[in-house]
Parts: sequence; C-alpha cells; structure tokens
Amino acid sequence: MASHLLARREAREGFLFALPYLLGMLVFVLLPLVAVLGMSLTGWSLLDAPTFKGFANYAKLARDLEFRGSLGVTAIFTVGIVALNLTVALLLASLLNVRLAGIAAFRSMVFSPVVMPIVAWSLIWKFLLQPQGPLNTGLQHLGLDANLLLNPKTALGTLIVIEVLKAVGLNTVIFLSALQGVPPEQREAARLDGASPWQVYRHITLPMISPTLFLVFLVTVIGALKVFTPIWVLTGGGPAGATTTLIVAMFKQGFTFFEFGYASAIAAVLFFAVLLLTLLQWRLRKALVFYED
Amino acid sequence: MRTDAVSAGARRAERLPARPAWTLLLYVLLALVCLPFVLPILWMFLSSLKSAQGIFGSPFGLNVDAGLKNFTQVFAGYPFARQYLNSLLTLAISVPVTMLLAATAGYAFARMRFPGRDVAFVMTLAAMMVPAELVAIPQFIAFKNLHLTNTLVPIILLQIFSATGALSVFLMRQHFITLPRELEEAGRIDGLGTLGVFRYIMLPLSRPVLATVAIFAVLNSWNDYFNPLIYLNDEAKMTLPLALQRFTDPLGGTYWNLTLAASVLVALPVLLAFLMAQRTFIESLAASGTKG
Repeated sequence: MASHLLARREAREGFLFALPYLLGMLVFVLLPLVAVLGMSLTGWSLLDAPTFKGFANYAKLARDLEFRGSLGVTAIFTVGIVALNLTVALLLASLLNVRLAGIAAFRSMVFSPVVMPIVAWSLIWKFLLQPQGPLNTGLQHLGLDANLLLNPKTALGTLIVIEVLKAVGLNTVIFLSALQGVPPEQREAARLDGASPWQVYRHITLPMISPTLFLVFLVTVIGALKVFTPIWVLTGGGPAGATTTLIVAMFKQGFTFFEFGYASAIAAVLFFAVLLLTLLQWRLRKALVFYED
Repeated sequence: MRTDAVSAGARRAERLPARPAWTLLLYVLLALVCLPFVLPILWMFLSSLKSAQGIFGSPFGLNVDAGLKNFTQVFAGYPFARQYLNSLLTLAISVPVTMLLAATAGYAFARMRFPGRDVAFVMTLAAMMVPAELVAIPQFIAFKNLHLTNTLVPIILLQIFSATGALSVFLMRQHFITLPRELEEAGRIDGLGTLGVFRYIMLPLSRPVLATVAIFAVLNSWNDYFNPLIYLNDEAKMTLPLALQRFTDPLGGTYWNLTLAASVLVALPVLLAFLMAQRTFIESLAASGTKG
C-alpha cells in the first residue's frame, strides 16, 4: 500500500520535473511538425487565406524543375560532405594519434574552426573567394580560369570544402578518442604474427572503431541535410541554383516568396528523407558494425 | 611476468630507432595539414587591422595600416554595440534555461517512472535528429500572429527547444543514470524531498556534464543565424551573426575591413574561451558524437 502511494508520488513528481521541457517540445517542435505536414496540403501564402488543395503541392513539386534540381544538389552536397568529412577525419585522427611533444597543439589547431562562429568563417571565405580575391587570382596564375563560387560547376564543391574544413575537427577528435580506446595488445599481437601495418589497421583498428564510425556517419549525413548558413552567406543558393539544397529551396519559398503551403511541401519531403535515411541506416548497421558494447 | 617483459621489449624495439629525420618530417607534415584550418582565422585577425584598400594587398602582408581604426568605426558608425548586447541578452537567458530544463527533464527521464515517459524520451531523441529548420514555417506563422516577430522572444525560445536542447536533455539523462541510487536514499533518510535530493545531491555531482551542456548552449546561441534571419528585420533588434552582414554600402558592396573587424569581435570571446579550456571544449563537443 505504501509502495503504491510512493509510486504515485514518483509519477507525479517525475511528470512535474519533465513538464517544462516536454511542454516546450510539444508546442515548439511536435505541433509545428504536425502543422507543416498539414500545411503541405494547402495553398497558403502571406496574402491568401489557406485553402485545402490535397496533394496539389506535391504534384507541382514533381513538375518543378528548380525543385528537381535541388534534389540533385542536396544528394551531391550530402554525399560530398559525408565522403570528404569522414575520409579527412579518419586520416587526421590517424595522423594525430602519435606520441609526440606538442601534439595537443596540432589537435587544437585542427579543432579551432569548430568553435569559430559560422557566419564569420563563411565571410572570411567569401572575401578570399571574390572574383579578384587571393584564391582565384592564385589559381589564375596557375593558368586556370578560376572563379570558384561564381561558376556553377565549381560552386557546390567549393562549399563542400569550406563546410568540411569548418566541421571536420569534431569528427577528428571523436575518431581520435575511439582510436585511443583500441587496446594496443591486439595490434602488437598481430604485428608479432607478421601482419603489415595496413593489415593491422584494416582488420583490427577499423573493426574496433566501427561503432563510432557508424554513429559519426549517421550524425554527419543528417548534419549535411541541415547545412544552411554557409550556403546562404556565400552563394545564396546560386549561381543558377547550383547550390540550392532542399533547405535553401524551402527557405526561399517560405521566407522570400512567402508561399507557405508550397514551402511546407518541400519541408515534408526533407522530413521523409531524414526519416527514410535514419531507418535505412539502422538496417545497414547490422552489416557494417563489427561489434557493439 | 616474462611475457610482459617480452612484449615491452618488443614495443621498445619498435620505437628504438629514434630517427630524428622522421620526427622532423612528421612535424612538417602536421604543420602543413594544420594550415587550411588556422590560416583563415589568422588572416581574419591580420586583415581586421588593414584599411579598406590595404586589405586587397598581399593577404599575409604586414601592412596593418588601419591600426584599430576599423574597430572604433564598427562601434561609431553602426548599432554594433546594441547588437552585441542583443546577443549577450539572448545568451544570458537561453543558456541557463537550457541547463535548468535539461537537468530537470534529464533527471526525470533517468530516475523517475511516470506515464508516457518512454514515448517522451523517444520524442526527445527524434528532436535531436530531425532538422529544426523543417518546422520554421508554422513557427513563424504562430509568432507572427502573436506579434512577436522582430523581438528576441522567438529567438530565445527556439534556442531553448532546439536540437541542442534535446541533446542537452539526453546528455543529462545519460549522466544521472550512472549515479548510484544509494545517494538518493541517503538524502531521503536525512529528510530531503525530491527537490532537495535533486538540488543538494544530484546537481552538485553534475558539474562536468553541466559544463558540456553550457558549452553547447553558448555556441548554439552565439552562432544562431537561421531564426534571426527569419524574425529580425530592424538593425537595432539584430543579433551578431546577422550584424556581420550589415557593413555594406548603399549598392550592396561590402566594407570588408569593417566586416572583418566585427568578425574578430564576434569570434574572439569564443576563441579565447577555447584557448583557455581546450580540453574541456574538445572533450565536451566530442561527447556529442560518442554518446549521442
């Protein structure tokens, strides 16, 4: 009887402890998420009252060349960010995982862009990448007709590099701490058995850090889908839509043209993409991750 | 014992040839690898001391012909001081509130049974993953109907209930789960209620995690760009990330010397904090990846 009363008190108090946060989540995240899915079925702009249109927005999206372009841009941007970020992070972590006087200073240097305000970081690159700025003129001296941000062929790749330089330090230190968690005895045993350094890396170190690799992969994919600020500051989605990702397309429709219904449909597409990716990756996990704690 | 000695011997043998040439080569390689990360930041500092014309000279030339003039101009000619205050005010509210809500909700998720707890926790995990930008449109319509656009209210609220807020709750929960239950029982025997146990026993044991949450919340607030871009139109109402893009001539050209001086003023506090507490910063931010 007493324990029953205690459990009821715990339920009441637990609920009260969590309430302020849960209420905020409900009001500012969950309800808007339901609303955005609902709004995607309406025609709703700043001037017009909302009207129910069924799946008309989605049908329009399917025909919209700009939107179809932004799907491709988002795919290239995401794959590019993930591939470059994870490769560079793994290389840097392996390089920084040595015992050397002053190695901590090098780790901090690679990490420092992570704490740089993203707008400041983007503006620095915007100056450096002006048509007559030092980077383009430097490349022009090498005989290349370079205008990296204003050329639709190079703009997206340039943004990928800038974003990876900003963020890769974080994945680097995560990999570094995973590498340092691999017990040295196993590597030494393999070395004594005649394995080459590459074989040790490939067959012992990598499988041992595969849970971390997987987690970082997941977070980086979803992080890439969210990237907005450097794109907006550096190119605004241009030139000719070459850097308009889904989130930039949504922002333009919603807050430049104030087409709330149409923008909500883009948001819904992005939401289902994130959902699908998450589910897909959890299935992949079994195939890729060697062991789990 | 003997095997230990053998393996220690083998290890030593592997490292014995000290090969100073290799060590030197490694340092050179490390320095080269670090360049693209630190040069842009160093360039920002150097160029903030150059005049509007001087900035277009050699990128690492030491012609710092403007001295501190850009910095005085940033404050004299623009509402930059006001914008700095706006950012500080936003941070001063959103960071402590994020910490408080994360601590209470994290404690409830970790230690108390209440109906709907598991569903609520899964929702929190989802909020860490789903891009908050997706829900910007209904949020905007709601705040507009409440006549709260062009104020800091939506900025602060949306920072508190952002993905960072959800991550904070998650980190606090993971921490509270590891604390032994005996501590709470001892507190209860001493006559403390739930709030007392939380306040006088659990919170004091949570300083390192609270520091992590604080670092996340500070960076999230200080760098917030997306929502201010949507909500803030008046220059005097803007926060710093927007302010950095306001040093323009009437035709839209950028005064780069002022922009970079302002960028230094925005980046400096964060970079200094990082330099002073590098270990805490790196370990805290890495925790998001290893525990998230």
